[in-house]
Amino acid sequence: MMRQVVERSILRLAGTHVVHGRWGPTPSAFGSGLSLAAARLAALACRGRGRFSRPAGARLRLSAALLAAVLAWAASARTSSAQSAEELLVSRAEIGHQGGQLVVNQRAEPKTLNPITAVDSVSREVIRCTIADLIHINRDTQRTEPALAKAWTVSSDGRRYVLTLRRGLRFSDGHPFDADDVLFSFRVYLDEKVRSPQRDLLIVGGQPIGVRKVDQYAVQFDLAEPYAAAERIFDSVAILPRHLLEQLYTEGRLAETWGLGTAAAQIAGLGPFRFKEYVPGDRIVLERNPYYWKGDRAGNRLPYLDRLAFQFVASEDAQAMRFQTGEADIASRLNAETFSVLAKAEQTRSYKLFDLGPGLDYSFLFFNLNDLDSKALPETSRKQSWFRQVSFRQAVSAAIDREAIVRLVYRGRATPLWGHVPPGNKLWINRSIAQPGRSLERARRLLQTAGFSWKPDGTLVDGRGNAVEFSIVTNAGNGERSQMATIIQDDLKQLGMSVHVVTLELRALLDRLTGTHDYEACVLGLGGGDADPNAELNVWLSSGGTHLWNPEQAQPATPWEAEIDTLMRRQLTTLSNSARKRLYDRVQELVAQNVPFIFLVSPNVLVGAHSGLGNFRPAVLDHHTLWDVEELFWREKRSSATP
Amino acid sequence: MRYLCWRMVHGLLVLVGVSVLSFVFAALAPGDFLSEMKLDPRISPATVAALRDRYGLDLPLPLKYAQWLRSVRRGELGFSFAYNSPVATLLWPRARNTLLLTVTATTLAWLIAVPLGAWSASHPGRWGDRLCAGVTTALLVVPELVLGLGLLLVAVRTGYFPVGGMMSARFADLGPWGKLKDLALHLFLPASALILLNLPILVRHVRASLIEVLAAPFIQAARARGVPHRRLLFRDALRAAANPLISLVGLSIAALLSGSLVVEALMSWPGIGPLLLGAIAARDLHVLVGTVLCSTLFLLVGNLLADALLYLADPRLRVDQA
Amino acid sequence: MSLPGSNVGNLRNVRTSLSLLGLLYASVLLAGLLAPYDPTEQNRDMPFAPPSRLHFAEPRGTFRLRPFVYRVVSKPGSFGEYAEERGTTYPMRFLVRGAPYRIAGILSCTRHLFGFDEPAKVFLFGSDEYGRDVFSRLLYGGQISLVAGLLAASLALGLGTILGGLAGFYGGWADEICMRVAELFLALPWLYLLLAVRATLPLHIDPVQAFLFLVVVIGMVGWARPARLIRGIVLSGKLREHVLAARAFGASDSYLLRRHVLPQAAGVVFAQLAVLIPQYILAEVTLSFFGLGVGEPVPSWGNMLAAAQRYDVLTSYWWMFLPGIALSPVFLLYYTLANALHQQTARLTS
Repeated sequence: MMRQVVERSILRLAGTHVVHGRWGPTPSAFGSGLSLAAARLAALACRGRGRFSRPAGARLRLSAALLAAVLAWAASARTSSAQSAEELLVSRAEIGHQGGQLVVNQRAEPKTLNPITAVDSVSREVIRCTIADLIHINRDTQRTEPALAKAWTVSSDGRRYVLTLRRGLRFSDGHPFDADDVLFSFRVYLDEKVRSPQRDLLIVGGQPIGVRKVDQYAVQFDLAEPYAAAERIFDSVAILPRHLLEQLYTEGRLAETWGLGTAAAQIAGLGPFRFKEYVPGDRIVLERNPYYWKGDRAGNRLPYLDRLAFQFVASEDAQAMRFQTGEADIASRLNAETFSVLAKAEQTRSYKLFDLGPGLDYSFLFFNLNDLDSKALPETSRKQSWFRQVSFRQAVSAAIDREAIVRLVYRGRATPLWGHVPPGNKLWINRSIAQPGRSLERARRLLQTAGFSWKPDGTLVDGRGNAVEFSIVTNAGNGERSQMATIIQDDLKQLGMSVHVVTLELRALLDRLTGTHDYEACVLGLGGGDADPNAELNVWLSSGGTHLWNPEQAQPATPWEAEIDTLMRRQLTTLSNSARKRLYDRVQELVAQNVPFIFLVSPNVLVGAHSGLGNFRPAVLDHHTLWDVEELFWREKRSSATP
Repeated sequence: MRYLCWRMVHGLLVLVGVSVLSFVFAALAPGDFLSEMKLDPRISPATVAALRDRYGLDLPLPLKYAQWLRSVRRGELGFSFAYNSPVATLLWPRARNTLLLTVTATTLAWLIAVPLGAWSASHPGRWGDRLCAGVTTALLVVPELVLGLGLLLVAVRTGYFPVGGMMSARFADLGPWGKLKDLALHLFLPASALILLNLPILVRHVRASLIEVLAAPFIQAARARGVPHRRLLFRDALRAAANPLISLVGLSIAALLSGSLVVEALMSWPGIGPLLLGAIAARDLHVLVGTVLCSTLFLLVGNLLADALLYLADPRLRVDQA
Repeated sequence: MSLPGSNVGNLRNVRTSLSLLGLLYASVLLAGLLAPYDPTEQNRDMPFAPPSRLHFAEPRGTFRLRPFVYRVVSKPGSFGEYAEERGTTYPMRFLVRGAPYRIAGILSCTRHLFGFDEPAKVFLFGSDEYGRDVFSRLLYGGQISLVAGLLAASLALGLGTILGGLAGFYGGWADEICMRVAELFLALPWLYLLLAVRATLPLHIDPVQAFLFLVVVIGMVGWARPARLIRGIVLSGKLREHVLAARAFGASDSYLLRRHVLPQAAGVVFAQLAVLIPQYILAEVTLSFFGLGVGEPVPSWGNMLAAAQRYDVLTSYWWMFLPGIALSPVFLLYYTLANALHQQTARLTS
């Protein structure tokens, strides 16, 4: 027993060490206070558990390396004087050189620079470059890594996290950063009056996270119940400058601050770039943050780029064209069609395209399974007697030609799907989910067993002789979805179903899905965020707001939904990764069997960048291209402005 | 002078009417600003409900309107949910850009349309007239977006023009002459798109009005007296045909404004077009009303100018008014 | 005489345009007969196939009067690249049996004017992204678009003429109110109203009906523009000497409007008609962007063009713009007709 505990503790430390090792502490990074911190770390870790499971061979090597490292820390702690030097994080990326400007297309203007209130993805994408979080999810490895917190420990019950902060850091306006800024930030996010959308992420087990200052460089977080992968919730939670915002916060004016018209001097963050200027409707320019807390192995401070300009280009086609002419240096989220056009011109132009394979997005067809008022929507509630039959849904799934969708809609740059975890999510996918090919035979058999039959002219009718006829809605302006719906419609015609495709403007569609429930079937997509199952909690819990086929149920409507609820709640509080994986595998099985969503495809992530850009490492996780913006650099000296 | 005051009162009435009806339409359209947030799995329904409350999305329509009126009185023209800022500050810089584009395009379009229409009208049925009709019809068939994309494609292939935008990244570093050149280069594509879109209609109207006038007895008489054709066409006939054409000036401004919506969005011209499209998509109510009012204002001013021109051009009206 | 051509020539113009337009409407009405395929039939192994080549000469050089084609197959591993299989020839056959269709919604029929033996497919105007025949879709698409254009344009113009005519003729308060309302109508965000109307329509009604309903709404709110133009004409028209004279002789208002004032506006009305029909047909392109066009898979000229306005189509699949190019002569026809009619009326009134 004892041995096991020790081994665990080593593993725990090995975990943190592995992370350190990947980034490598600078000699100056561990100052005087560290002996204390290290001791506390070790003590806490003894009670902690191994979260970073590694193959056994690696464990031994790591633990040996770790012991040496701990000794080295202790030694350096004893010898170094009591100066609080800057604890830079050292990047392992290729060493570049400073200078130049990077121009990026944005499909719309950011609406605000305020990380507290920003909800739209465009604003968040710009803000991401100006802020830093305590613990960060590496978009490439999909695992957490230290950011402003250089290390952290977890209590054995998984409810207490102690984060040790980097010392000597400064905000982009030169003001020093410490635990008080962290405390202030979380006070703001958790304040109900502020109504930050981040608040929901910081509620665990129905209670807001408890935040307590341990000392000037250590903060303790207490969770109401154990929460799997709790350190992932710190990702993208921006640490705010208390010196600039506290006054506004007490006056209750926080929501209106840091709009686009704000003077650059009044905005500060811990991100690699800081706000420089905003030209309404045209562009927003960020400049290098001279106080950024990452460096490279050669001792240079990151970021390499002098300026980062986001230009607003609404049309996807115009975005592709600007990228083609070099007026933009990076193209994110290309669709398969423009990708093929750009690929044709790749030889003659100075950019490179990347097909990263399947991402985390998945698209699906689903039927309206809400409890409907049969007076208000008599047609739809009558049709629900079909939709509610699992074999009907399975038959529809069997009739859909996913290969055709991949080929026609995505030019082959997508993967057919039968479960909700796309192959891009390598850590969590259940590979045993069956992937039956298209079979009209099987579809017909399934329909027959469910009591459907065919009239002589081929029309499918139900037991009462009603012709099977329904509409599929999807949002206009998303060509891929309406194309998929058109293909599905033709597939189902071969089963004798008469299907209308109706494209609705997005808000009108959402109003029907989440408000009036006046729809029959819908093609939609989800995904993005994080690879962890917790990111999709609200999709799979029957009480969730995005449990699209029947959202916000008081009681689970079916036994399998009840089972999914139990499994999802269990995995939430299970701390062992392998046990969580088993629970989530079962969720995937249940979903695949009961087909509340009929999964279609997961599109590949397609991006491009100027070929002179160094350290460009696109990732399948959201913000595919700019996640390592601080490490990007120009291989050749270019004039600081592109024409 | 009294006439001018009268017109201003009327214009104000129109603006009020437009704002009221915009509110009504927006209330009729399904969905609201926070609809999309409901689809974000990270945000709970309770938060969405709290935000609805903060933005006053569930207030009855008259109260919403009253709220907006109060903000208009403060000179803010309402408050944008999306931008979290007063609408007026969003609107003015963009309105300036739109004005620059549409005024340039209107002027150029008329400068091309009048001689072309006049020439076509004086040679009706000949090959030139036919060619003109063919070309303008072909232009009429091209949807705005296709035309815009085509022009952008020309820019991509040739590299002579920037692909959209209003100024290059190094605009601030340029001298005054360089700035002007940069702006003109960027202006070229969107302005050409607008001109090409509106030219067919303008040319046809110029041609139709002139043909009518050229058949009139006084022109016939002048022609018989040996007045040179060119002078006849451009001085006498054009002046006589001015009446319906001037009414068209006001309308062409409206047409250009609505055309500029799509062109601006496609060519990333930082005008009110992209702002309006964004506001429609996001159901950003006050921005929508603000932009609509702004284009109404342009329209009213355009009409006023047209009527003033009409007043100057047609002596009979002057007598009538007096 | 400054008016072009003789009276006879002008009448001939009217006749030719009318008969050509009649031919156009007839062919669109008989789309089922003329189109070789069903407009919704997908050939999923043939997306973006270029227009088929009709051959007359065999490789050995023998000339055949009856055109034939080779089967076209996509190159393995490619998207949208095709090659002809030169082995077998497939001659064109006439009045073949094919997909069933209805003429004018009543007459059920299966014969097509021409066709080719399977497995050869002939796409005269190429195929779209689902491998549907663009030529067949173009013919069927006209059924909706020509009706929609005419419907919306006549609604807008009818209302516009009445309101503009009255405003211009009576002046004063009627004029003021009418013109202020027109300004209001020109400025309002109609898109929102259309979104609202679409939202109130049930989802399972026919996409064509839903679209025509929206077209009626567009037509009814589109009166402001023509009204302003016609008012301008009437305003100056009523002050002309012969009108004033007629009034002095005690002619009634309705007589003056009918006999003297509105005929002067005829030129503008016809010019407007020739402009408005294409505009309303093309309005669907913009409407499609907001999900307000004709829904898939039903073809219309508007949604066919809307599907074509993409960068990849623009650079790689030019035949997707054939609908647009085919529209050009149609609109030119309208224009010529309007012109000829205008001259005809001008002759009668002057």
